[in-house]
Amino acid sequence: MSQRWSNLLVWAGTIAFIVFVSVSAWAGNPVNSTTLTNLVVLALPLAGIIALAASGLVVVYTTTGIFNFAQGAIGMFLAYVDWQLTVQWNVPQVVAVPLVVLVVAPLLGIGLDRAIMRHLQGKPLVVQLMVTVGLMFALIGLANMIWNQNNAHSMPQLFEGKGFHIGDVLLTWHRFITIMVAVALAIGLRILLFRTRIGIAMRAVVDNRDLAALGGARSSVLSSFAWALGCSLAALAGILLAPETADMSTTTLTFLIITAFAAAVVGRLRSVPLTYVGAVILALATAWMGSFLRFSDRWTNVPDALPTIMLFIVLLLLPRAEIQFARISAVRRVERVSTVRDTAIGMAVFFVFIALLAAFFLSSSNPTNTNRIALGMCTAILALSLVPLTGWTGQVSLAPLAFAGIGAVAYTRLGGAHGSVWAILFATLVTVPIGAFFAFPAMRLQGLYLALATLAFAAMVEEIFYTQPFAVGPGERAVVPVHIFGVDFSTPKSFLLLVTAVFGICACGIAALRRSPFGRRLIAMRDSEAASVTVGVNVLETKLVVFSLSAAIAGFAGAFYAMAFGTLNNAQGFQMVAGLPLVLALVIGGVGFVAGALFAGVFGLLTLMIQDNWHISLWIGLVYLAPGLAVLGIIQNPSGAVVPIGEGFARLLPWRKDAKQDYEEMTAANAEPEVGELGLERPFTEPDVLLVDRALGIANDVPRAVQSARTS
Amino acid sequence: MALLEIDGISVQFGGLLAVDDASLSVREGCVTGLIGPNGAGKTTLFNVITGLQVPTGGHVMLDGVDVTKRRPYRRARLGIARTFQRLEAFGSLSARDNVLVALEMRRRWAKSRYDSGKVADELLERVGVANVADKRVESLPTGSARLVELARALATDPKVLLLDEPSSGLDEQETDAFGMLLHELTADGLAVLLVEHDMPLVMEACSYISVLDFGRVIAQGTPTEIQADPSVQRAYLGTAKSAS
Repeated sequence: MSQRWSNLLVWAGTIAFIVFVSVSAWAGNPVNSTTLTNLVVLALPLAGIIALAASGLVVVYTTTGIFNFAQGAIGMFLAYVDWQLTVQWNVPQVVAVPLVVLVVAPLLGIGLDRAIMRHLQGKPLVVQLMVTVGLMFALIGLANMIWNQNNAHSMPQLFEGKGFHIGDVLLTWHRFITIMVAVALAIGLRILLFRTRIGIAMRAVVDNRDLAALGGARSSVLSSFAWALGCSLAALAGILLAPETADMSTTTLTFLIITAFAAAVVGRLRSVPLTYVGAVILALATAWMGSFLRFSDRWTNVPDALPTIMLFIVLLLLPRAEIQFARISAVRRVERVSTVRDTAIGMAVFFVFIALLAAFFLSSSNPTNTNRIALGMCTAILALSLVPLTGWTGQVSLAPLAFAGIGAVAYTRLGGAHGSVWAILFATLVTVPIGAFFAFPAMRLQGLYLALATLAFAAMVEEIFYTQPFAVGPGERAVVPVHIFGVDFSTPKSFLLLVTAVFGICACGIAALRRSPFGRRLIAMRDSEAASVTVGVNVLETKLVVFSLSAAIAGFAGAFYAMAFGTLNNAQGFQMVAGLPLVLALVIGGVGFVAGALFAGVFGLLTLMIQDNWHISLWIGLVYLAPGLAVLGIIQNPSGAVVPIGEGFARLLPWRKDAKQDYEEMTAANAEPEVGELGLERPFTEPDVLLVDRALGIANDVPRAVQSARTS
Repeated sequence: MALLEIDGISVQFGGLLAVDDASLSVREGCVTGLIGPNGAGKTTLFNVITGLQVPTGGHVMLDGVDVTKRRPYRRARLGIARTFQRLEAFGSLSARDNVLVALEMRRRWAKSRYDSGKVADELLERVGVANVADKRVESLPTGSARLVELARALATDPKVLLLDEPSSGLDEQETDAFGMLLHELTADGLAVLLVEHDMPLVMEACSYISVLDFGRVIAQGTPTEIQADPSVQRAYLGTAKSAS
């Protein structure tokens, strides 16, 4: 019932939005058969490219459960391989395209599956997502290193832009082929998924991986096949899109993926035909905006936001997910929850370290490095906002920077221009209702969809919010650091000490929260939502609180971002894409830990240093490549880097006698082999039988199980 | 009037009628058994009673109040608690924290005052897992984790306790201890609905038994009556017709 009403509301809102936008941005172009034909001719090839990229996403997701952020980057990379072959080495396209699509792409796909993706099964969603985000950045970095982006690249269209006329409108052969390829693949994928043995097995796996394995499906073969197919589809999309872009920019080609998300979500990430429908709707809307509407001033970026607006609307229309039962975690870990005292000691030591650094090493005349470290601390405060939300509750938000941006604007416009303390409070409060709003979709959407909704939100904020006159508007807005009790923090060093202290206080607060009843409740809800409701936990209320809290911390951090930047200029510094490395760094560090947030800050600082200091183009690629490679570490250690670092360090502290014992326990636990795909990948042995018994809880104590195994 | 009344509950999953017009009642101060072959709809019925599954038809009455439309957490606060057939412990929390989560919720809604830590330890002691209070539950053997779940359910101070195959994963000694605990709990006035495959335990502990087969209640009565019932024997052992 409430579902129906909320859907009606979303539909009504959407229609009102479309009508309003169409009327207010009407450019006055005549609507006749020529312009309409032009619109369709413009839209269909675009729809074809989106559909190819999106169906690759769907094939991989249905078979392996991995949502591949790098789908666009893979297409980009392979389009560059094609460019290298044809433009640099003069291989004809007739040879190069099949070579890339049928040989290079599948090999890349199989390699990715074997080396990385296969090991993500059963890992937390945020880890799965961030590994593919890391792959995306790594591919961008690699491409930038190999193909210097300071030189223009361009790929000629197939048949040199020749074509034929439909009425007065020219349809190039390139675009005609794009449409035909998309149609052929639609039919091909349908036959593959419904008529062939491997396709039926692929669909079976998505419904129940374990059941399909019992029925004899070799999930390892299937996932390699899906990745190979996904990469081929990505390559096709990339190669067909590349000549349509002006300069083959690596980022433009990569972020085709955001558009593809919207189309794939129409098919709920499972249905290829519905994905095509989504692609056509999106392409028609884009062409409609391009042909008949004109956006200026504060609305200039609306057309860029279109795919994410559509993504957001479609997500709001998805049916309510079932209550989540616990999933058996494949993660083995022994984690100690830090006491507030330990956190406070750590933060005090850190503050002294920064103070010494400021006193003896940082230059007073050239504040560049001081400012960078201060910005790194702002990043660390912002990363704290995800610790309760993503780390403990398991709700993935990809929009921390969007909330920070809103906070920064609130600080700037509500008193930050002259450093008022109240402005920080306003920045903190302004984001709370927006954060709370996300608790409602979070009640309905499963983890991945929620993550996508936050991503769409971040993109919409970036494109539409900052250009508004009440936000930043055109031009720049100056900000000064806050005055507290008459103390002025406008010198770089005093500001650095301020943000360091603020981080330390927030970190202690988060550590205290983890040990509080509320912290326990969040973790209980993540571990088993079904069980937590049966002991009386009100999930909506709890999610409202944690989303509001996270948004408040992000808005609060945003105020300090504004101070660190000194001026606000459009979306500068708060772009959706910039938010991804932040989440990535936090996950690498350890998403459930205060120290993980500090790690994210240091990581951001290092990235800034590389970006500003290493001007050799080869190393510029490292900005992207390094996080991409670092993220591979979390496959081995999904809790994050700070856990082993902390455990190693704690053993050296005299008052932490328990640390040594924890460490030994963990070493013993890790010595046991993984149950994994035993019997599929290697034969059972007697110890394996015991291990399985213990994992299933059949054998309570080992000695007796050993006995029974020997006698029987 | 029984404490918990299930009246004409049906649940349909697509074309499959998982529970078909099932009615039964659970009285306070005794254990009511719910038995039946695998796939008979026992766990689905548990999900309906606790609110995790919305029924296609029928009513759930607790203490004379219709709770069919209440959200699951409200039913918990009204006094329905359960354990799960497939473990649903809070795996990354310690055994004590598992119980604490429930105690802290109860303290909020019942506004009662007590030392949660002390009560949690008492509950763990009572079900017999006090020795693993500080261990993360996902590192415990299934039997102990089940007992932690039981302690967590008891921490909500329930009127009705639904137990879904509690003895699986327990050894003989633990099962005996569990049988004793059931007696103690019912002596305190608790109503227990027990789904169990361990027939000696069921026959010994239950004062009243309902038998579910293909979503229907095919027999109800005392353990002796049930043991003699021909339709129950058919459901469990199969006849030439149903076996083919």
